[in-house]
Amino acid sequence: MAFLSRLLDRLARTPEDFRAENLRWWRSSIPGTTPIAELRARERAKVAGVIQNIRIDPREGSGAIEATIIDGTGHMVSKWLGRDRMPGIGLGMGLIMEGMCGIGDDGELVMLNPEYDLVTDPEHA
Amino acid sequence: MSRAGAVLKRIFLGRPMSHGEMEHTLLPKTIALPVFSSDPLSSNAYATQEALIVLAAAGAVGLNLIAPISLAVATLLAIVVTSYRQTVRAYPSGGGAYRVAHENLGMYPGLLAASALLIDYVLTVAVSITAGVEAITSASPALHDRKIVIAFAFIAFVTLMNLRGVKESGTLFAIPTYGFVLSIYLMIGAGLIQCTFGSCPTAESADLSFHETHAISLFLILRAFAAGTTALTGVEAIADGVPAFRYPQSSNAAKTLTIMAALSTSMFLGISWLADQTHVVYIEELEEQRSVVAQIAFAVFDGGFFFYLVQAMSAAILILAANTAYQDFPRLSSILAKDQYLPHQFMNRGDRLVFSNGVLILAVLAGILIVVFDANLTRLIQLYLVGVFISFTLSQTGMVLRTRSLRHPGWRHRAAVSGFGAIVTGIVLIVIAVTKFEHGAWIVITAIPFVMAGMRSIHRHYSTVKTELAHPARKPAERRRGHQHMVIYVRQLDAATARALGVVRSMRPADITAITTDPGTGSAWRRLAREVPLTVLSGRRNVRKLVREHLMERRKDLGPTDFLTLVVPELLASRSLLEIFRRPGLTRLKASMLTAPGIQLLNVPMVRDEIDIMIDETQEPARNHVLVLVSGVHNATLQAIEYAESLHATDIRAISFGLDPEGTEKLGNLWLEARIPHPLEIEASPFRDIGLSLRDYIRQFECDGIHRIVTVVLPEFVVSKRRHQILHGQTALIVKRYVLFERGVVAVSVPYHLHES
Repeated sequence: MAFLSRLLDRLARTPEDFRAENLRWWRSSIPGTTPIAELRARERAKVAGVIQNIRIDPREGSGAIEATIIDGTGHMVSKWLGRDRMPGIGLGMGLIMEGMCGIGDDGELVMLNPEYDLVTDPEHA
Repeated sequence: MSRAGAVLKRIFLGRPMSHGEMEHTLLPKTIALPVFSSDPLSSNAYATQEALIVLAAAGAVGLNLIAPISLAVATLLAIVVTSYRQTVRAYPSGGGAYRVAHENLGMYPGLLAASALLIDYVLTVAVSITAGVEAITSASPALHDRKIVIAFAFIAFVTLMNLRGVKESGTLFAIPTYGFVLSIYLMIGAGLIQCTFGSCPTAESADLSFHETHAISLFLILRAFAAGTTALTGVEAIADGVPAFRYPQSSNAAKTLTIMAALSTSMFLGISWLADQTHVVYIEELEEQRSVVAQIAFAVFDGGFFFYLVQAMSAAILILAANTAYQDFPRLSSILAKDQYLPHQFMNRGDRLVFSNGVLILAVLAGILIVVFDANLTRLIQLYLVGVFISFTLSQTGMVLRTRSLRHPGWRHRAAVSGFGAIVTGIVLIVIAVTKFEHGAWIVITAIPFVMAGMRSIHRHYSTVKTELAHPARKPAERRRGHQHMVIYVRQLDAATARALGVVRSMRPADITAITTDPGTGSAWRRLAREVPLTVLSGRRNVRKLVREHLMERRKDLGPTDFLTLVVPELLASRSLLEIFRRPGLTRLKASMLTAPGIQLLNVPMVRDEIDIMIDETQEPARNHVLVLVSGVHNATLQAIEYAESLHATDIRAISFGLDPEGTEKLGNLWLEARIPHPLEIEASPFRDIGLSLRDYIRQFECDGIHRIVTVVLPEFVVSKRRHQILHGQTALIVKRYVLFERGVVAVSVPYHLHES
């Protein structure tokens, strides 16, 4: 029965779990990067994740654009200020960024205007 | 979804794949070859036979012509393949004949090619499944009465395999395809050895006496040639499906096309040569005769294991030819949907990244065809071929024009090849259309214009909608801000009605009124909300009409920029979808509101287990987060944003669910250009389930319905002709189904009425 229950668990494993596993694997293949779960505020770091959410706020100054990335261990935000065009980013793209980690309004980790690289198809390797 | 449902779906369809896994579903050449070649290769199982049937009418003289005719067919195959090799390089996005004709010859030739191809794919499935069933029922005649049931079982199997994914079905179906090729080569090889080193075997029908009915004539030869060109069917499959290949797509597709052509030509010539050597005779009217390939196999292998192997593999490949159509029909329909010629729903990818809607529609259409034709192969096969040759002719003509206008080095040579091919396939098309017209080809020839007209009118509809949605004169954002008027529909005094009152009060509309059809609620209502006047609607007419009339009457006194919202409280017994069907009257009432111009609909659902008698539901929630669901920046979106602004919300944000990087970047830039003063969030929905993604997104607000609520604003299009509604995604409907049962979530439909004319 234990076997059967394990099999059922495996069959019912959510696609999100499966995806998170893939993302962790992808992140670990990029040299010098730290998993988001191990990041601390006020330290320089290099992280890699897939863009899960893009927030465009035309109200702040001449526009703020935020991208939330996930790497299978957590999520964090990359924020660009003073933009009136999209900085080439799109959902599902891989974002590798390096900069100082700060804390945002809702307590999440944020990098302001980080140096970044984009990877078009991170989820297949 | 329940755990049991998830497990079942997992077993039958497999793990849902995220959008990022797309490249995993691309086919390597070893799988692509059988996937796209099962249709063209399977035609070798009967092409020679089709030519022999015609030739038999001219007696022995006629039969001797099988060799030269087969050579001519093989040459034509080579020409068509050469032309299609250029096509796959020129149009790597797939679409084959449709794309070539549309770009080079114009819209109508493009639609002609598209309809011909779509009809042909449906026929391919119907014909090949029927052929497979025929093979089975001739082996065990007891099953003859169950023909249609068996055919449906095959369709269900192939459909399910294709819903699992292109690669999965391809891998499974590769085995019989390669098996068929090998078994035919074994047969040709064995025959070749016997004829070279010994004496050729003689077919069982060699001594069959038959009388010639026609003298040999040019027309007869032409007919035999046209019949033999059955061997070409399926060649178009690869050109339609280039995007299914691994990178570099065009070059892999071109290579696969060459390999397929080499296999097909050699098998066809081999079978025809053996047919000549073994003196097979096949007469259409004669019953109880084995197929030409079967007769050759029997003669060469003298019965025995290999004979049965060839038989089994032929039956298998006939069924699998359907699989090629399953690859191409959904893809072509998605391309047509993208070009606005078919409903947009054909672009949706399912859990396994296949175009599920196309797969299902193909299965249904083929099923209908099989029922209508009572699974009768002889009748179905008459419909076949016309579509293929229309697409061959158009595609090659288009390539001639393209090469001529581009004038790359060596263009004259290439244009000559395609041009010659176009002329020959055109002649074959005419011969087929004439000879098969009364046997059934007329059905296809009459159906094509209807399909074309349908696609044309879908296109016209989409473009008028697009123009109207972007029309600057109608842009609501530039209008004066209107007032909000809310009307609560009181069906009974319950917790949901009380909560609706609290929600509505927090939105601070210009006025609140209430309506009911039950005169008994008056005094209780005054205790609940003294300040809100209650009107009792009465009359002999049904509730739906009474409410609608009342609202239309109110609407007359309001300005064009004002909103008039009907608030519908709903107390749900459980979190089951059946709740929607438990109140058919209310569902119909809500549906009828969508078609009433200038009326918005606010749903305040509450599940019974949320009821807490210690809480005063009529109190205003302190925080109201408003989410406007957007899919693009147009008038319907702008109207919904304006509506959101009238709600005195804590915050307003637009939310969109997307998949691909290009789309999200474009939407972001449009948002910035439109200067809409609210943030837009674009959230990835990698598993393409917007309802589920929205639910997860809403849960971050942790709303309880009492102190904190989320209002989801859904812009909806309402088209003037009801039948056109199906052309627009039913996203709002899908979303409502999810948010209905979420605690503290209310949903507003803001219909945008189109006046497309």
